[in-house]
Amino acid sequence: MTTFKTIGKSEPRRDLPEKLTGEAKYTADVQLPGMLFGKILRSPHPHARILSINVDAARNLPGVRAVVTPFDAPKGQVAPDMPILDTEARYVGDEVAAVAADDEDLAEAALSLIEVKYEQLPFVTDAVEAIKPDAPQTRPGGNLVGGKPLTLIRGSVEEGFAQADRIFEETYSTPAQAGAALEPRAAVASWDGDNLTVWKSTRGVHADQLALSLALDVPRGNIRVMGQNMGAGYGTKDETRLGAITAVLAQRAGRPVKIELTRQEEFVAGRHRHGTTTTVRMGVKNDGTVTAVHATTIMDTGAYLSSGPGVIRRAGQGALYLYRCANVQYDGYLTYTNTPSGGSYRALGAPQGHFALESLADTISEALGIDPLEFRLKNHVGLEGQPGERVTPANEVLDTQPVEGGVPFSSNGLRECLQRGSEAIDWGQPSERPESGNLRRGKGMGMFIYRGGAGGRSIARMRLESDGSLRLLTGLMDVGEGSLTVMPQIAAEELGVGYGQVLVTFGDSETTPEAPLTAGSTATFSTGTATKEAARQLKARIIEVVAPLLDTEPSNLQITDDGVEHIQYPERSVSFAQIAESVGEIEVEAAISPGSRDHVINSFGAHFAEVEVDTDTGQVRVLRYIAAHDSGRILNPKLAINQVEGGVSQMLGFTLSEQMLTDPRNGVTLNASFLEHKSPTVQDFPEMQVLFADVVDPVGPFGAKALGEPPSIGVAPAVANAIYNAIGVRIRDLPLTPDRVLNEIEAQRGDSQ
Amino acid sequence: MKPFKFEQATTAVQASQTHADAAPNARFISGGTDILGEIKESVLEVNILVSLAGLSGASEIISSDLGLEIGALVTLARIASDQSIVETYPALAQAAESVATPQIRNVGTLGGNLCQRPRCWYYRSPLFDCLKKGGETCFASDEGNKYHAILGAENCHIVHPSDVAVALLALDATVVVSNASGDRQMPIGDFFVSPDVNMLAENVLEPGEFVSKVKIPKPSSGTRSVYLKAKERQAYDFALSSVAVSLEVRDETITQAHVVLGGVAPVPYSVPQVDSELTGQKIREVDVQAIGQLAVKDAQPLSDNSYKVRLTASMVARAVSRLISE
Amino acid sequence: MAQLPISYSASITLNVNGTDHQIEVDHRWTLLRVLRDVLGLTGAKRGCDRGECGACTVLVDGDPVCSCSMLALQVGGRQVRTVEGLGDANSLNVLQEAFLAEDGGQCGFCTPGFIMSATALLESNTDPTEDEIKAALVGNICRCNAYGRIIESVKAAAKSEAS
Ligand SMILES: Cc1cc2nc3c(=O)[nH]c(=O)nc-3n(C[C@H](O)[C@H](O)[C@H](O)COP(=O)(O)OP(=O)(O)OC[C@H]3O[C@@H](n4cnc5c(N)ncnc54)[C@H](O)[C@@H]3O)c2cc1C
Ligand code: SF4
Ligand code: FES
Ligand code: FES
Repeated sequence: MTTFKTIGKSEPRRDLPEKLTGEAKYTADVQLPGMLFGKILRSPHPHARILSINVDAARNLPGVRAVVTPFDAPKGQVAPDMPILDTEARYVGDEVAAVAADDEDLAEAALSLIEVKYEQLPFVTDAVEAIKPDAPQTRPGGNLVGGKPLTLIRGSVEEGFAQADRIFEETYSTPAQAGAALEPRAAVASWDGDNLTVWKSTRGVHADQLALSLALDVPRGNIRVMGQNMGAGYGTKDETRLGAITAVLAQRAGRPVKIELTRQEEFVAGRHRHGTTTTVRMGVKNDGTVTAVHATTIMDTGAYLSSGPGVIRRAGQGALYLYRCANVQYDGYLTYTNTPSGGSYRALGAPQGHFALESLADTISEALGIDPLEFRLKNHVGLEGQPGERVTPANEVLDTQPVEGGVPFSSNGLRECLQRGSEAIDWGQPSERPESGNLRRGKGMGMFIYRGGAGGRSIARMRLESDGSLRLLTGLMDVGEGSLTVMPQIAAEELGVGYGQVLVTFGDSETTPEAPLTAGSTATFSTGTATKEAARQLKARIIEVVAPLLDTEPSNLQITDDGVEHIQYPERSVSFAQIAESVGEIEVEAAISPGSRDHVINSFGAHFAEVEVDTDTGQVRVLRYIAAHDSGRILNPKLAINQVEGGVSQMLGFTLSEQMLTDPRNGVTLNASFLEHKSPTVQDFPEMQVLFADVVDPVGPFGAKALGEPPSIGVAPAVANAIYNAIGVRIRDLPLTPDRVLNEIEAQRGDSQ
Repeated sequence: MKPFKFEQATTAVQASQTHADAAPNARFISGGTDILGEIKESVLEVNILVSLAGLSGASEIISSDLGLEIGALVTLARIASDQSIVETYPALAQAAESVATPQIRNVGTLGGNLCQRPRCWYYRSPLFDCLKKGGETCFASDEGNKYHAILGAENCHIVHPSDVAVALLALDATVVVSNASGDRQMPIGDFFVSPDVNMLAENVLEPGEFVSKVKIPKPSSGTRSVYLKAKERQAYDFALSSVAVSLEVRDETITQAHVVLGGVAPVPYSVPQVDSELTGQKIREVDVQAIGQLAVKDAQPLSDNSYKVRLTASMVARAVSRLISE
Repeated sequence: MAQLPISYSASITLNVNGTDHQIEVDHRWTLLRVLRDVLGLTGAKRGCDRGECGACTVLVDGDPVCSCSMLALQVGGRQVRTVEGLGDANSLNVLQEAFLAEDGGQCGFCTPGFIMSATALLESNTDPTEDEIKAALVGNICRCNAYGRIIESVKAAAKSEAS
């Protein structure tokens, strides 16, 4: 076994000390001399044309320094379907105008003086309604994005169903779940001549820089984006509109401007996990062999597209790839409505798709008299991938979320997850009987697959600095997942120095090289691979320049914590500082477009839950939770456990209590608060055990695969299946709130009478 | 937030007069945890906030042979942890403990808890001009009413948000109300009024009047009480349904009963039929399920809240059964 | 010319982390606003401004409160403690050390609030049970849901304070 210096060790989180003391600065903490406060006027209508806006009174209020409306905003787009400000409002909460004033109270007062004339337009708030032919149109091109569903096929489901002894079909729905990062979005913009600096909560400073440049029509080189500490986002903080509005106000006022969204704005104008309705149809043989899977998802993207197209695709991955099956199909309908916009949110559509798929798998197991665990062990996709012919030409990089068969995974620890997870929860042992007559206990499970691995092109730069310190520079943001800690671990390991010796610079578009968003669990993989390569190059360069200094061949030298030494004669050594002194700064850069021509790189896992249902009150308590993951080698166990536990707990909220509710009568979000959009608290956190499969991925950096998002995927099915196991009632609509549990129990009783 | 003036009153007379003079645009503030939310949400516009925090004597808990007197400024945290309350008036301590979070209980006061405004989501949003805000319609009557009332509501379907009030009613508390000219007092059941009586307020307070204390008679030695609350998540949340029960038991027989429901009606909701049904029964013979059903006999659920009927029946059964097995 | 709404201001003495500050406040300013915008103490965060998330938790006379849900005027003359009063990144206190060792945070936005709630708990109860820890922290939302690690951190702090 390889022994590592830092890989696999629970190095403490780099950025935590200053977060523990309140010293860490988030965007809202930025204070600049002369800074103004901005506020945004939002539409009270779900769909309306803005005929005119009178800002005279607001502008004349002493202390108001700038106003922007759709009629005078720069014409650039912040997204393909979203200008900086638009003359059409598409949901209650859509940005209509903005002001900057000397302080927050004034800015608020100014908003109330703006008069807007709206022409109200027909609207629709429900996705299933929206794709009906006579639905009110949210856009000239129709509600259905692209005018047709995304259809992905391997083999032929007709053939698959023809081979089946039995066919099962069920429909499931999931609500919109707000991202609701604890830090509401904020942006600060400041101009110095033609140069713009923007501070914002983001997970991609380079992406923001590009988007702002396009929106504002300012050369990219004139824009500097500073990602402050980020109060999390889970993917939901991609948008640029806020940054662009702030920048326009700052330019007009000639002073820096800060906009902080309120909590309510964050709920409504932020991004959420898309609401879905999914029908899954599965064909099986009597022995349990799966012969066909056909899933259809209707997904509500809300008023804007955001990352909807990626998310609708992701919702199909389970149906297309989790079960070994030659004949599969996925149809994804992404539709606009006049509601807040969905966006990227941890594991994108995968949790929604898997909820339907893995719930139906339990229904099938029961009907066939096969244990649900056995059903999965029998049918899960193996290392060899799916049956069928490879479609991608042999010399091309494979999609990480493939449809085609005939391509193997780089590694696949799903079976180990199923086995170890089931042992940990004592699968097969019935739950203990609780003391009280109205409490029922049960166990449930769900397995999952998730694309990960390659993200976009990623660049890492490594430097031996003039004072002898080693520094890693990437454009990556640490959004709470710990890449600020894991990346220097990778660099240190490759260099052969201690973890603490590698300094890092992150999240500043000016001083760091390009990195993709910290998205899609790709950070460890793509930036990790780039980092590892940069470290390898730096090491080689250092040794190369030291060899003549020590009068020897490079092959005789090695890197130590202090510098470089001769392998045989360790007394012949130079420190990093001496090296820098004699040869100056050394900088290397590695650009990686990761991806594999030979393998599909995916993460896997299986979750197991034991729940207790109070049949009198409908309350569900999760007693025990086992999360078994194959994410390749775990680079930092404590951070990894935190990541998994956090993902599970967050999704217990999705499963049991969270949902954004829109009033169909007027499009108003009814519960834009933590009190009403019920996020779990510490008291909801169950006893939890995290297991990692003993997998070292042959492709990933030091054998690692994606970990950030997969924990969110298995939760809903595991808990829903456990509830079914406890009370024999299946609830197909999330969240599984007391009213639904009680209503369903009642309905069931009605049926059986 | 619109500007307002914060006036620190030092005497009851001053508080009352300042409030009465500026009515209707004046409000009292105690802890501020509820009213500041209303102001920030632009649901409420005030010119003057009259702070009661400086009133002497309103922050005391006095326990005597006659019973308990709790000043209106006593915080919920103190009520939840006060030894005499925990021992002798457990339903009250449990109700106070069930409110919100430690941070809110450290600041929120008894008076503020009783006088907090409804949590109906239409009421709390400036985008709905509903009956309770002087508008024309109730948005909850046909849909979107999962958290609304199943009992005792005609036009406006709010549920009274206070947990503490439910327990106090079961314990037969009296509310003492003060104004510049003195005090008046009333059973707590008469303090709260339903929207059918007064759409714009949840209690009988007149301009210039505030709650100064609450008195609870000392329970007899055979009396037990409990407060149970069903919520949508394990942790802090308003009640989907709650119940406070106080039973006096002598020689295995219930000699007095008071069952009060919370989270289901515009006021803390007494169910006298249940009280009289229980009274006189041998504790071993009580059919708690039947009692639960009786408690919700008059329920008229709305489109989305019929679950509350069953839930409340279960809560009542559970609370009674808990007390008779004590 | 539009009318500026009339606002009221007052002078108060605010004792924060042992130091008296004489400040002018608008009547409607919350304690949180004054801490952050007037005194520059940005450790307490504005997560909701409604008493629902605990990111703004500070101690007033020793008790954890939501500084967003109290007016500064309500706190004049009382003792306020914020996370800035506990230690800095180079000299973490026992509780903070425990959070670092047990990885009790992810994005860190909730962290100062948790630290303050936990500080109040451990000052009144040196050996809390898990249930007591949960009850004391229930007013603090961690949207990253790092609850497992947070509980372990508080347990570890209690243990190392005891030894
Ligand atoms: C996150 C959160 C969760 C909550 N959960 C619950 C819960 O589960 N159960 C529950 O019962 N409550 C809950 N509440 C409400 C909370 O209990 C109240 O906010 C608190 O009790 C109000 O007390 P206060 O002293 O802060 O009142 P204030 O905000 O000062 O006042 C509230 C109202 O009462 C009036 N008022 C105050 N004192 C008096 C008085 N002495 N006489 C007459 N009028 C007065 C004020 O004018 C105002 O209208 C919650 C609140 C929050 C923010
Ligand atoms: S229930 Fe009452 S407060 Fe709620 S919408 Fe109806 S009238 Fe308004
Ligand atoms: S900001 Fe104060 S509780 Fe959320
Ligand atoms: S660590 Fe992100 S909210 Fe708690």
